[in-house]
Amino acid sequence: MLLELTGLSKRFGPVEVLSDVDLSIDAGEVCALVGDNGAGKSTLVKCVAGIHAIDGGSISVNDEVRAISGPRDAAALGIEVVYQDLALCDNLDVVENLFLGREKVRGLVLDDDAMEQLAAETLSSLAVRTIRNLRQPVASLSGGQRQTVAIAKAVLWNSRLVILDEPTAALGVAQTRQVLELIRRLADQGLAVLYISHNLNDVFAVADRIAALYLGRMAAVLDAADATQSQVVELITSGRSGTLGLGADTNGART
Amino acid sequence: MARPGTEELRRRNRAALLEQLHRHGPQTRAELTEALGLNRSTIATIATDLAESGHIQETTGRSTGSAGRPSTLVECVPKAESVAAVEIRADRVRFALFGLGGEVLERAESPLLTGVEGPAAAEAAAALVGGSGAEAVAAVPGLVDAGAVAHSTELGWTGRDVAADLAAATSREWRVVDTATAAAVGEWSRGDAHDATRLLYLHGGRGLTAGLVVEGRAQRGGSIQLGHIVVEPGGLACACGLRGCLEAEMEAFGYAEDIESATAAAGMGDAAARDGLRRSGEDLGRALGAVVTATGPDEILFGGWLRELYLSAAAPVRSALAETTLPHLRSRLRLRTPVLGEEGPLIGAAETGFAALIDRMR
Repeated sequence: MLLELTGLSKRFGPVEVLSDVDLSIDAGEVCALVGDNGAGKSTLVKCVAGIHAIDGGSISVNDEVRAISGPRDAAALGIEVVYQDLALCDNLDVVENLFLGREKVRGLVLDDDAMEQLAAETLSSLAVRTIRNLRQPVASLSGGQRQTVAIAKAVLWNSRLVILDEPTAALGVAQTRQVLELIRRLADQGLAVLYISHNLNDVFAVADRIAALYLGRMAAVLDAADATQSQVVELITSGRSGTLGLGADTNGART
Repeated sequence: MARPGTEELRRRNRAALLEQLHRHGPQTRAELTEALGLNRSTIATIATDLAESGHIQETTGRSTGSAGRPSTLVECVPKAESVAAVEIRADRVRFALFGLGGEVLERAESPLLTGVEGPAAAEAAAALVGGSGAEAVAAVPGLVDAGAVAHSTELGWTGRDVAADLAAATSREWRVVDTATAAAVGEWSRGDAHDATRLLYLHGGRGLTAGLVVEGRAQRGGSIQLGHIVVEPGGLACACGLRGCLEAEMEAFGYAEDIESATAAAGMGDAAARDGLRRSGEDLGRALGAVVTATGPDEILFGGWLRELYLSAAAPVRSALAETTLPHLRSRLRLRTPVLGEEGPLIGAAETGFAALIDRMR
């Protein structure tokens, strides 16, 4: 398993936001994380990304328990988070954004040609055809294109796990489709993807597995091929569905 | 068993090398040696041979980044062999001439009148194609078997021998495949679906068809009339004479005309559009359940306007599919969208022609 969370707990003062959460994600798969507002999705992401310290349980990367005490640790382990409000610089162009902070140099100057070529190769490996001019400023791009740049950054930097927090929330229908196809392609290229979304259509379109959080506890982790929409809705709203979910024997653990 | 003669072996090796270059692009001699499992000197002999016949050329190509002389690349000469591919649609005929290696050498299209008959469509194709290409392949939407179109909702044809129509118009031989199968071949050979052993491509045009290819090759009987699977017994009347066909229940014609506004309206919260999309998704999932159970594919591609429908209604599609298929069939099933888009059928038709052409060289 690329990422394995075991018995993860997180408290803010007296409030237990995450309680005994188990989740594992393998390379090459998209795991969707769903749950109502306040179920703990964002907190879970921030624990993995090193923004919050965890209060209990462990995080393993490649079967090794790791202490992630900051975003730098997470990045060093190949974990890249793409947040809702994309951290892109409007005044820089596509290539400059992709390499921001990790520019390639040749002698004393930037190796612009090499960076542009690598950027073009990365985008074409993801079958991105919507961005024609790599030298246009990011400010001139549409929401979908900006999201594409932010996601492509993860591939370029050889990340192994990409966490996407509501990447399609602010996008139109056509742009959402492009981003969904991009997410699927990331996993098909061997990355692990943790995909957080409110939209069940988007979840079903790309997910291999669906993990449902309910009030800070993992209600169930389902294979997307076996799941139905009504099951997932029940898990989100009540934490259980038939024999699945909290209170059932398996207690949501993946068997 | 007699061993194959030297001449025959040589011919086979030539075909294998050409196929390797055609499919995987320019390579060094070392890479070819590795990929084909042949001796270095054998590769050298065949390469010289193919260079003399004008099929391949050697270029001083990419630098490896390390020091030293850049390695020589072997590549096919696109113009050495070409295949004419035609896609017939309800409103137009599209033509592209593909060279060895998959490069497009020429491209043209001409409009068709709605309700056009077979011979007239063949004339339009003939005007575009002329005598170009060593092979000519046509992709036709519908149920196709052995060159004949048994039924096509999109074109309104029944029992039309399209291969004969085309042959009469051009006085040359044609291969005819259905559009979905052609697109499946295209996605397998030049798209992202190379890992699929049994690849099912769903084509959304004015009708719904599907094509199954095994290891990238079209199969007889692989053309499937997805749109005429009955999902609602006694339901809406379909143009084919049955009731409750998928095409009729989904009102596929409306989606074919304007999928964008239907999905956009649903995306913005229009209740009627949402409901329509959900029901269409469920119907599609149910019909797919039957197809998956019958054919056992390991990958399904949603092509044409079904791409937009799937990405906007994946939850009902997959829910219905989960309820109508056996666990061992659905657990290894990948659902994807095509990467070649509109070009898929033409590319696949051309690849069908190249496969025949290379087979003939063996």
